[in-house]
Amino acid sequence: MAEHEGSNAEQIAKEFKEHSVAEFFKKNMQMLGLTGKIKTLTTIVHEYVTNSLDACEEAKILPDIEVQLKELGAEYYEVTVKDNGPGLTKETVGKALGQLLAGTKFHRMMQMRGQQGIGAAGCTMLSQITTGKATEVITGTGKGPALSLEVTIDPKKNQPKIVNLHELKSEFKGTAIKAKFKGVKYVNSEQAPLEYLRRTAIANPHAKITLIEPSKKKIVFNRTVKEIPRKPTEMKPHPKGVNVDEVISLSKYSDTKKVSSFLKSAFDRVGDKAIEQIAKNITFDINIDPKQLTWEESEEIVKQFKKINFIAPRTDGLIPIGEDRIQKSLNGIVKPEFLSVVTRKPTVYSGGFPFQVEVGIAYGGEAGRGNAVNPDGEAERKMEIMRFANRAPLLFDTGGCAITRAVQSIDWKRYGVKDYENAPITIFVNLISVHIPYTSAGKQAISDEDEIMEELRLALMDSGRKAGAYIAGKKKEQERKMKKELFYKYIPETAWAIEAITKQSRKTLEKNLEKLVLEKLKLEDEEDEAQEIKKEIAKTSADTKKKAKENEDYSEEEQEEEEEEEN
Amino acid sequence: MAKEKKPKKTRSTTETPEAIAQRIEEMAGNIAKEINSNQDPTFSTQQRGRNNVEFDEDKGLLMLGDKVTSRNFLNIGHAKKFMQTMMVSAKTHNYLKQNKTASIREVYYELKHTLGKSKENTFEDQTESDACIVDLEHSVNTIREKLNLHANPKGTLYGDIILRDRKHNNDEFNAAKLGRGGWSIMSRIEPEEIEIVKVNAEYILVIETEAMYERLVEENFAKKNKAILISTGGQAARGTRRLIQRLHSEGKLPVYIFTDGDPYGWYIYSVVKQGSMALAAHSNFLAVPDAKYIGMTLEDVEDFGLQNVTEKMKDGDVKRAKEMLAYPWFQNKEWQEELKKAIKEKIRIEQQALANKSLSFVADEYLPKKIKKKDFLP
Repeated sequence: MAEHEGSNAEQIAKEFKEHSVAEFFKKNMQMLGLTGKIKTLTTIVHEYVTNSLDACEEAKILPDIEVQLKELGAEYYEVTVKDNGPGLTKETVGKALGQLLAGTKFHRMMQMRGQQGIGAAGCTMLSQITTGKATEVITGTGKGPALSLEVTIDPKKNQPKIVNLHELKSEFKGTAIKAKFKGVKYVNSEQAPLEYLRRTAIANPHAKITLIEPSKKKIVFNRTVKEIPRKPTEMKPHPKGVNVDEVISLSKYSDTKKVSSFLKSAFDRVGDKAIEQIAKNITFDINIDPKQLTWEESEEIVKQFKKINFIAPRTDGLIPIGEDRIQKSLNGIVKPEFLSVVTRKPTVYSGGFPFQVEVGIAYGGEAGRGNAVNPDGEAERKMEIMRFANRAPLLFDTGGCAITRAVQSIDWKRYGVKDYENAPITIFVNLISVHIPYTSAGKQAISDEDEIMEELRLALMDSGRKAGAYIAGKKKEQERKMKKELFYKYIPETAWAIEAITKQSRKTLEKNLEKLVLEKLKLEDEEDEAQEIKKEIAKTSADTKKKAKENEDYSEEEQEEEEEEEN
Repeated sequence: MAKEKKPKKTRSTTETPEAIAQRIEEMAGNIAKEINSNQDPTFSTQQRGRNNVEFDEDKGLLMLGDKVTSRNFLNIGHAKKFMQTMMVSAKTHNYLKQNKTASIREVYYELKHTLGKSKENTFEDQTESDACIVDLEHSVNTIREKLNLHANPKGTLYGDIILRDRKHNNDEFNAAKLGRGGWSIMSRIEPEEIEIVKVNAEYILVIETEAMYERLVEENFAKKNKAILISTGGQAARGTRRLIQRLHSEGKLPVYIFTDGDPYGWYIYSVVKQGSMALAAHSNFLAVPDAKYIGMTLEDVEDFGLQNVTEKMKDGDVKRAKEMLAYPWFQNKEWQEELKKAIKEKIRIEQQALANKSLSFVADEYLPKKIKKKDFLP
């Protein structure tokens, strides 16, 4: 009986194990970002492209990535992504494409593009369960023959299964992955691969990205800078930013013998003074083996962490794109009339997480969403917000994101943008952090931490002011043009009449009247400028006086606000 | 209104067309000089409108003040008016040179066209070209008749008076011998065009309505009373006013004004007597400060028993009457009483209400009685 029961239980366990990976995958598709036919296709493209970008960056190669989408049938597509990266070996192919959750990115305090759900292996799995087909790979390191193979995942073992492996005669450096998917769809919308790649190109100006659409139309986003970004460095977690669970898991990997030395080595900014203070206030011996730490003891440590005034975390591990590169990139891809970019200094949220905000405001040209149509049926550009977290575009869950809310919280009218939602404006926002506070596991929206909101607002106001000055200048220019046209309209008849009476040359009169009008308008411009300089001087001196009066706690935000009011 | 400013400068009416044309040439010449020497072209004109019109108590005339305004081409608000005035000047200059006359409406149509490729016209309506004519009159210090321009004629003359049309074969005619229609008063009544040869009458009766005029012609009123009848047909046109003024000053005839007893009638009277806001610049030779108001009055209603044929005044009329109470030329006992009574009782009385007595009542009784008793309002 027992044996029988045992075999039954074993059977159940075996079955569970066989199905577990695939089942888990299917059941959690939603959580993994695989909802909707359009979004799923974008997620697939994202996984492959992110891998390519990361691999190139790691190998210090300027990425050249080509994405090709082919429609094979109704909601049935083939995705091919080809890069010029370092290539994969037989072993690494299996890990990268044939094993779920095999990434090396977990539990690392490092600024990363970040997976948005499934990873490239997830794509292999998705292809497998929707089409029954293997993922084809050609990869080469540039040394020796390239490999051609097909990979699937053994759902029982969560292990790669590689078939049709053979060496190619030609050399090849890079990786090309081809996979087929059902239940996906290609359209041209803001959440589709084209927009995803456009934004990826903007945030990665060192990459050249090509898309070949199902219609065979080829769209190329050219490289605008030639330097490869610095590799982010790994940073120890700051004591203000850890929870009990993290303390325990870190303690398990520690080589140290005492909790005191574990705390000093595993966390940023923890020194002897802090250890002294912790030792005094905990109920257990700080010299015990860290591997023995209980949940309750860890709780005590976290509690002490909260009480101690640590120096703010190091921020040098953050790699912004940089004002200069964002400029080049937006100029190359959005081709605006005017662009203002601000990279803020790094700072910290929740006491323990370094982060940094970059904002670019592009106006005119191809800025704004281009596919909007006004009531007269004419194409009309509307404001678009391009959200990025560590350079990776966030396309979904727009309304729930701190970036969107920060944009909405700005009074754009102050900057001369009357109806900002219907203006040809692209607002680029990149949030960089070792730990992006996403609102949910879908990783598509950033939660509105106070410090993040404030930094976002300051950056938006700063570049908004510059953009506003440009827009105001443009308006003035238009007014000037209108005035000129108005005067010019009356010149021919005036000259005709004077000629009729005086017999003086109409042509000379016309020419001289035009000259007079131009000189008058130029004079007006100069007067306007003088007026503005006067205002600026008055404002600056008022500010200086005010600043002298205020105490040091006067926050930058308040200052900005008051300057606004004076304008 | 500036108190110390006295209206001055009477515009010359005796200059030759050549002299006027030359002044237009001077004005345009100056503008051309400014344009060609890099200066904002400008001309000056009298400020028009209420705040540059004053009532001259001594003369009993509405006069244009001496507030001058300049029009600059480089002023965004003036540019179009500048162009328009130049165009009207050119056209007028051309009329003077060609010895032609035109109505102000013809000027408008001659100059109206679309500006270049725009959707804008040189003149959108006649009020715009009319305004330019007024400006030009001032700029070259003359009157529109001297610019060979005239308004649309209106008004009729009947009575024993001989006139000569010097611009048309020197035709001589007696205005009592043209049939019942009388003579249609032209809009240009300057002495070099219309000469008053002989007047055989004792006074001029200015009548508001055509119907009343026809009644009096039919009753042979002019002949029986040695009167000259002039119908204004509503508000008196410029030519009609000029003729009344000339008959008064040249023929030494008193002027009696006969209108409905209501704000509109009173205003007709006040324009003939003191001048109008729009043509305040020309009051000197258009207005007759000695003119008397014969009726209709509210006293007539009682004197002639017309209580049952009065009309109710509308709210607008009452409002208008209240405004008139404040007019400087109505600041006398008689008019104040008349206006206050009308406002209080809210009634008005028409000329033709006299027919209630009989058709010939106005000619046989009303007018002769009033004239004999000198029963006028001042």
